[in-house]
Amino acid sequence: MHIPDGYLGPQTYIPLYGVSVGFWAIAQKKLKKQLSLKHVPYLAMAAAFSFLIMMFNVPIPGGTTGHAVGAGIIAILLGPWTAVLAVSVVLIIQALLFGDGGITAVGANCFNMAVAMPFVSYGVFKLIKGKARGEVRLAVAAFLSGYLGLVVAALLTAVEFGIQPLIATGADGRPLYAPYPLSVAIPAMALEHLFPFGIVEGLVTMLLLKYFLKHEPDLVYGLSGPSAAKS
Amino acid sequence: MANKIPPFLLAPPTPCSIKQAKGKMRIPFLGRGINRLASVIREGYAQWDFSSQNGFFQKIDARVKILFLLFFILIVTLKRDVLPETYIWVFVFVLTLLSRLSIAKIYKRVLLFGFLFGFLIALPSAFNVITKGDVVLPIATLPRPYNFWIYHVPAEIGITREGIHGVAMLTMRVINSLSLSFLILYTTPFHEIVRALKVLKVPDSFLIIITLCYKYIFLLSKTVEDMHLAKRSRIVRELSPTEAREWVAGRIAFIFRKTRLRCEEVFKAMIGRGFSDTIRFCGFRKMRMLDWGTAVFLFLSGIFFLFI
Repeated sequence: MHIPDGYLGPQTYIPLYGVSVGFWAIAQKKLKKQLSLKHVPYLAMAAAFSFLIMMFNVPIPGGTTGHAVGAGIIAILLGPWTAVLAVSVVLIIQALLFGDGGITAVGANCFNMAVAMPFVSYGVFKLIKGKARGEVRLAVAAFLSGYLGLVVAALLTAVEFGIQPLIATGADGRPLYAPYPLSVAIPAMALEHLFPFGIVEGLVTMLLLKYFLKHEPDLVYGLSGPSAAKS
Repeated sequence: MANKIPPFLLAPPTPCSIKQAKGKMRIPFLGRGINRLASVIREGYAQWDFSSQNGFFQKIDARVKILFLLFFILIVTLKRDVLPETYIWVFVFVLTLLSRLSIAKIYKRVLLFGFLFGFLIALPSAFNVITKGDVVLPIATLPRPYNFWIYHVPAEIGITREGIHGVAMLTMRVINSLSLSFLILYTTPFHEIVRALKVLKVPDSFLIIITLCYKYIFLLSKTVEDMHLAKRSRIVRELSPTEAREWVAGRIAFIFRKTRLRCEEVFKAMIGRGFSDTIRFCGFRKMRMLDWGTAVFLFLSGIFFLFI
């Protein structure tokens, strides 16, 4: 889902940089207020954890393996604002160090995977969980939060690709950037993220939450609120 | 009479991590995890090694290189023809040669990524189903054109001239952007790249978070790799998917605890050394004549490429 350089025009990537920068500023202000001096090592730790989640290959039904983005589980474990900064730092390091995702597309990639995905995942988790404490309901909430967070991020990516032929064309009408219209980009991205990538994301989110519920429920922000971050 | 051999010893052994199955290589999840981690660690070392060599770009101030990278990537995304993109590619290639980098190592990655993220993704758009235009390579002919919902399939399906141009443009853009990124990456230590982001007014606290995270990643990648190796060396049969998923969940949770502990240790060390929320990076070294001369040369080259 990492958008490379050359697929988005300046009309798209510059505003998305602006939106991402706005979210980074708010997230940092909130975390600094909440954690005071500790916010620097805490965010670095959260970002490293977010990176390492992607290093684990998870066997999925069908015999193959995949890895998760991890933004959903980070949002549930550490809170959505921490996830915004943690996943953004990882995406920046990936773009600078590994060539995963373009440098002009950092703003867009951060908006999709570090802003939209954590908030959607966290919102879905809270919505489905409600006030229930039952293990099954929490597991379903966790699975759907990871699954829907990833699908929404993929759809946003598809929309960013799909609007390129509408907003950036040459004098002869040829698309200058991503060539696929919305009618192609959305089904293509939706299909591969509804299955299997969404399943992997949902499974990792659910398995990790189950593990924490069993062993260290106090550490989960989605259950204990900001006190989990301070502890 | 039933034997007393434990069931796990009766299961067929898996002597190696890669097994042949119906002509395909199936790599179990542990092997894949180890490969991913090894590539992270390897890349870190390769970058450190190349950036300490005595080439042209290694001697240049990181701020000049960061501004060059952003300026040229912007130019690459703005160009609308293949020929100027090719000129830029030649220019970056010459800079890579002057910097004494391993052309084979860098361009193997650049071409692979360019093929995957540029050519392969863009290839279907070369067909007239997506990009209308003159068909230069007919592929199939249908009895009549088909329309369903918002989609239109013409009677003659083929590759168009306009489509080929679009695919070539996207492939060249991806290759050029990657060539530029790797040129900077392999000639500049990572902490210098991060520090140079100050010229873009990125707050110091954000830069220190990136720097700390980068260090944590390499420390903990080794830990995660050790976990995978330890697990692989202790199993005598293949794990079921459920067992494997439980193991992964347990290890991720362990890494979470470990990162929290590390965070506490780092925080205590910071407080112990008098950290008082004032983050300030040490000043940059003074720009030399070589830096200024290179900056002017790269700027003028960029202007040239912008207008050709």
